[in-house]
Amino acid sequence: MPSIVPTLEWLEGLAWTTAIRESGWGYPLIETSHVASIVAFAGLVIMMDLRLVGLAFTHAPLAQIQRRLFPWQMAGLVPSTATGLLLCCIDPVRYYGNVSFRVKLVLLALAGLNALAFHLKTRRRAGQWDEDPQATATARLAGAASLLLWSAIIVSGRLIAYG
Amino acid sequence: MSLLPFSEWCYGLAMSQVYRESLWLFALTQALHLVAVTTFVGAILIGDLRLLGWGPVGQSRAAIARSAQRVLLWAGLAVLATGIPQFTTNALTYHRSPLFVFKMCLLAAALVFTATLRRRVAIADEGRLPLWVPRAVGAVSLALWMGVTISGRLITFYG
Repeated sequence: MPSIVPTLEWLEGLAWTTAIRESGWGYPLIETSHVASIVAFAGLVIMMDLRLVGLAFTHAPLAQIQRRLFPWQMAGLVPSTATGLLLCCIDPVRYYGNVSFRVKLVLLALAGLNALAFHLKTRRRAGQWDEDPQATATARLAGAASLLLWSAIIVSGRLIAYG
Repeated sequence: MSLLPFSEWCYGLAMSQVYRESLWLFALTQALHLVAVTTFVGAILIGDLRLLGWGPVGQSRAAIARSAQRVLLWAGLAVLATGIPQFTTNALTYHRSPLFVFKMCLLAAALVFTATLRRRVAIADEGRLPLWVPRAVGAVSLALWMGVTISGRLITFYG
């Protein structure tokens, strides 16, 4: 299997990635924007998860709160993804060899699949959800899985700094 | 009044010594601190969005605020429990950090604002206040808490 390392080294050697990496402000600015946007995004995801598992906002109908929070979650997801990709571009070789980074990517994929499965399932039953304030067992499970996954993503993301 | 004796006392605690000697204990505490901060900011954000007239508008401001308050309390305790050892471990460094002092001042302002004006406006009768009041309170709260989060992260880079 061909190695991805030469491609990553090429990316790392580009003029713009080198310029950002070697500037005093580039990395801190992008990394701080990444953390701020991920805190906003994951924070709202966690609020939805707490509603799903029945620990908060239980007075609000599930479908309604999901509909109203979704655009704001996306408003956090877009900049966090963009800044995350930028961080990968400016230091790709280091990230590639980092165990916590690899764990974070796997967890992100799992969280994405969990969210996708949840959205597909709830879209079919949206009408029923508006009337039923109690989450189904499947939805509660999806909420609990999302809570665990996003907490683990944040932990692994922070541990990238430690290798 | 100098805070140096207090910082020296914090630095000398047995707990601080344990944290300084274990890289992974410190790293894990830092990571869990970020999880707690994310949950706390999420609970602030949902309330602020509602104050701004966005987010879960089908629910009253008071209902969202009351439910978010429980999350704020538990997440706030977790932020504190994971933040204190981080401070005591590096108390002498933080003591000299203008960014850390700035974050703490901003945190104090955000806490006072949230416990007083924001809380009163959130639980007030919806028709009693002009529309601009909850919106202004939501905007100030959002700015304060995002400011705390951003300045906290910048300490790593600019001490």
